[in-house]
Amino acid sequence: MTDSQHIVSSYDRDLEGVQALIIKMGGLVETAILDCAKALELRDEELAERVRKGDKAIDALMEQINEETAFVIARRAPAASDLRVVLSVMKMSNNLERIGDYAKNIAKRAGVLLQMTPIDGASGAVRRMAREVELMLKDALDAYIQRDPELAQVVSNRDKEVDQMYNALFREFLTFMMEDPRNITACMHLHFIAKNIERMGDHVTALAEQVIYVSTGKMPEEDRPKADSTPYEIHGDPMAGKD
Amino acid sequence: MYDNPNLERKVAQQDTKISARNVQVFYGDTHAIKDVNIEIPSRTVTAFIGPSGCGKSTFLRCLNRMNDTIDICRVEGDIDLDGENIYDKRVDPVQLRAKVGMVFQKPNPFPKSIYDNIAYGPRIHGLAKNKADLDEIVEKALRRGAIWNEVKDRLHAPGTGLSGGQQQRLCIARAVATEPEVLLMDEPCSALDPIATSQVEELIDELRDQYSVVIVTHSMQQAARVSQKTAFFHLGNLVEYGDTGQIFTNPQDSRTESYITGRIG
Repeated sequence: MTDSQHIVSSYDRDLEGVQALIIKMGGLVETAILDCAKALELRDEELAERVRKGDKAIDALMEQINEETAFVIARRAPAASDLRVVLSVMKMSNNLERIGDYAKNIAKRAGVLLQMTPIDGASGAVRRMAREVELMLKDALDAYIQRDPELAQVVSNRDKEVDQMYNALFREFLTFMMEDPRNITACMHLHFIAKNIERMGDHVTALAEQVIYVSTGKMPEEDRPKADSTPYEIHGDPMAGKD
Repeated sequence: MYDNPNLERKVAQQDTKISARNVQVFYGDTHAIKDVNIEIPSRTVTAFIGPSGCGKSTFLRCLNRMNDTIDICRVEGDIDLDGENIYDKRVDPVQLRAKVGMVFQKPNPFPKSIYDNIAYGPRIHGLAKNKADLDEIVEKALRRGAIWNEVKDRLHAPGTGLSGGQQQRLCIARAVATEPEVLLMDEPCSALDPIATSQVEELIDELRDQYSVVIVTHSMQQAARVSQKTAFFHLGNLVEYGDTGQIFTNPQDSRTESYITGRIG
């Protein structure tokens, strides 16, 4: 993006305003990610409730961003880098809204898990995974503010680590469930939580790709590293040893 | 994203209609056009954009030798139309201008009837054998100018009595009456209201089936709407020339970017 300002200064204010909303929304989503995982680990129902209620504010910001971007398109007919800002803001607000929904869903499951015997080490691992995603989001937003496509690319590559953490948890939960069927309910919830965080990572990656688009005008190549191998996993194969 | 062929409205064929090489234009001591090279494809709308005084109109006027009428103007370099240099001594500028028509910023109908406005060019170029022939040419041109239905009952009323938008479409009809191959338009919509502008833009899009259209416009949105290729001029230089979709989503030169986004360059 060119650093110089528009001749019509209210145009700059419109664009800055809508981008400030994205950053604000990003801040709320970062907090929601950390808090839902913390509520899970510390078995803190109050905090979980706060995350569930806090999602409304995130949704409201998305609505506001939608309205303001529509306004900018209608009034300014943005072109070139301005057009890319408007397009990326719309997509990024969608990504953030989805991440917020996942955090809310985790907070709901955390409320249910409170009533069950904790699974050893699981919530700590989930929290580490959530922290990694939150750090990625923070860096992606920093990259957005600084228009730094290289940092955004680094963030995008880091999603692989989240996928690997998810793979490890997936196997761990399977093992717990095979050991003792009474673990199944809790592990199913924990598995959905881990899957939610893994999906959050994908949305952060999509957001980082928007940063690359807004700064360079090009979308990154599609073949980024993916490490979610669970679609191909076979554990406790019922056919095993039958012949 | 602009690589997607479906995004860009289909350009029927990409052979070059006009090719300009190392074109320089001087008005006395002023160097108005500096070493411009451009290939304008046939059956395509090409938009020239740029700030006032950047040379886009000057360059447009070079394409049918309108600058010949200005004494202090000197044109260097080569401009080929279908591979033939239009500045060759054997080329008759009047014949050239029948092939390369022009529409100006302000509608300028002749102070004659609507019919005679259209018939004037075909008459002096001997395109009609008889009155019936000429009637047909006039009707066809007025239809192509998207104004036939509005004027068919008053063909012998003066052209100057029409509204501004109608006058401009009359001038476009007049320009296409001689069956030109290229149509040059110098800000054809700047004096028109949005409805008349849309009518002219629709017309430009239809004309693209048969002609190369080159349009100079100060409206970025108009350039984005009507053209397939866009050229950005700045201080007499051709800064950037490319597919319109690319110029308006991801211009490569920072001067283009500043201009089309309305920044102080």
